[in-house]
Amino acid sequence: MFNKVLIANRGEIAVRVIRACRELGMNTVAVYSEADRTALHVRQSDEAYLLGPAAARDSYLRIDKIIEIAEKSGAGAIHPGYGFLAERDDFAQAVEDAGLIFIGPRPSAIAAMGDKAVARATVTAAGVPVVPGTEGEGDLRNEDLLDLAPAIGFPLLIKATAGGGGKGMREVRKLEDMPGLLESARREAEAAFGDGNVYLEKLIEGARHIEFQILADTQGNVIHLGERECSLQRRHQKLLEESPSPFMNDELRVRMGEVACKAAQSVDYLNAGTIEFLVDKDENFYFLEMNTRLQVEHPVTELVTGIDIVKEQIRIARGRKLRYTQEDIQMNGWAMECRINAEDPYANFIPSTGVLNSVIPPSGPGVRVDTGVYAGFEISPFYDSLISKLICWGETRGETILRMRRALEEYRILGVKTNIPFHQNIMDSTRFIAGSFDTRFVEERFSMDTPEDEREHLTTIAAVMAALVAHREGQQAAQIVRRSERDTSNWKWVSRWERMNR
Amino acid sequence: MKYIASVDDQSFEIEIRPNDQLVVNGEPVEADFQSVGDQPVYTLLLNGESFEALVYPSDRGVQVLLRGRLFDFVVEDERQRRLRQSSGGAAVQSGEYQLKAPMPGLIVAIPIEEGQEIKSGDDLIILESMKMQNELKAPRDGIVNRIRVNVGDNVDQNQVLLTLS
Repeated sequence: MFNKVLIANRGEIAVRVIRACRELGMNTVAVYSEADRTALHVRQSDEAYLLGPAAARDSYLRIDKIIEIAEKSGAGAIHPGYGFLAERDDFAQAVEDAGLIFIGPRPSAIAAMGDKAVARATVTAAGVPVVPGTEGEGDLRNEDLLDLAPAIGFPLLIKATAGGGGKGMREVRKLEDMPGLLESARREAEAAFGDGNVYLEKLIEGARHIEFQILADTQGNVIHLGERECSLQRRHQKLLEESPSPFMNDELRVRMGEVACKAAQSVDYLNAGTIEFLVDKDENFYFLEMNTRLQVEHPVTELVTGIDIVKEQIRIARGRKLRYTQEDIQMNGWAMECRINAEDPYANFIPSTGVLNSVIPPSGPGVRVDTGVYAGFEISPFYDSLISKLICWGETRGETILRMRRALEEYRILGVKTNIPFHQNIMDSTRFIAGSFDTRFVEERFSMDTPEDEREHLTTIAAVMAALVAHREGQQAAQIVRRSERDTSNWKWVSRWERMNR
Repeated sequence: MKYIASVDDQSFEIEIRPNDQLVVNGEPVEADFQSVGDQPVYTLLLNGESFEALVYPSDRGVQVLLRGRLFDFVVEDERQRRLRQSSGGAAVQSGEYQLKAPMPGLIVAIPIEEGQEIKSGDDLIILESMKMQNELKAPRDGIVNRIRVNVGDNVDQNQVLLTLS
């Protein structure tokens, strides 16, 4: 059985996996691109090998090189993290073919769930409800999609067949807008996945995005670790997740949990995975997709269940039986995760690059920070903008929100713009505090503007600081001019003067 | 020295006296102002209340990020203010505008043409960076003067992409 794990990823998730390996007494092998030589995952692992140039296709997506490095270094298993190769069945297959262990599901399950048409057909056959749409009809041309659209009804979503993470996704309100939106969706999908195929799906309004964490072992045991609420999204990118969901009740959790396990069993699932559902306000729920990998937001489940999901993944990959039955799983307290991204919430969330010249993470009771960066590290344009994940735990949702507020205020990241102010505004939003939000909340009913009463006092303070800094800048500029007027000693000036007159 | 800091339609008069005494809108306050560790982080004790903020001077003014709120101030001293007032106020809406790349990336689409009339908020260029397609929008109405890049170009941060008139 393996004692050395290669982590085929970068950033915070590579660091997260290294930590789990360390705690299990396993050695780690990192891989990196030319842009990541000094990244945290390289510094923290036992061994590290160069993959190639910065662009992902030349480095983190090079299946051949990764397997070659695993063989050379004697790693017995490969953990894919999330993103990059995590949901590529050809990668999982190549790992198996090389006689190594893939820490994740079998290639057949990745393929079945990765092809959304097959996924829908499979789970439908197992009695799991799905959202109406053209998934499973194959790769349709624009004319066919335009014909089928009225039958599904508006509003609807255009989604990338190979998609994920909101890329290649567009919302259509009326038929006239559709041709243009199809073009831009295909273009984005082509750029992101090298596959411009798209499908249509009915848009469920007032929908919540709730997902269930699954663990499955080689003996066929499948359990769920409760739900995560992921409705706070912008352009279908999750920004904040919590567990449990404020929308959930015990009865619904049992029902959805059973369906989630059933969906996983329908593809003979192994290891950790996530079943995503859309839930409408009448508690109807629809299977959305299965993520056949570790999720970005797994820590919130870890904090409420007390189970280290990454360590469980490794144990499962080593062939161990699950240590828990469904009855053992208790959710204790409340956990919340804010994704801290290098983007400017005041400028349409445009990504921000640069060197982080100072990073002071929050700490104290109930606070966890998962990150792959440090002061001096450069946020490059080659990879996604996630800098870190700030996760807080509290006994109640109220305590967790207050704790998150406090932690966000402590967090200092300088050098790039971050979305910390966005999260601070969310924590102050009465709708969020009341738990009444859906997947469209951020885009439609949330603004970064400050309420009037609080604004007045703060504006005065900010004005004072602006004036003081402007004053300092002015003084410094004046000093620089004065100093350079005569930068050498008077004696030198005299001697130069004399030489000139010789 | 007297400064006038304005944001939106509000303005504040802040006087900094030689001995570091501070007068805000005519009211003397007790203030202690320090920068932290050579960073754009500043701590202010104002009548005993403690504040910390990020302050970035930029070419257009001073940005203050305080308790999750961002303020875009224009700070002028008395002389600058008088000069501006005598010249009849700054004309913001005219002159040539240069659209610069906010980050390095790849031009994936240019949905407009030279000479085209555009409205504030229209997409000018789609720039791919950090795995996202970012729509760079027009800050005001105008006419596209010159497009300096082509689809497929890799651009550097602050590179001029096009100009509006």
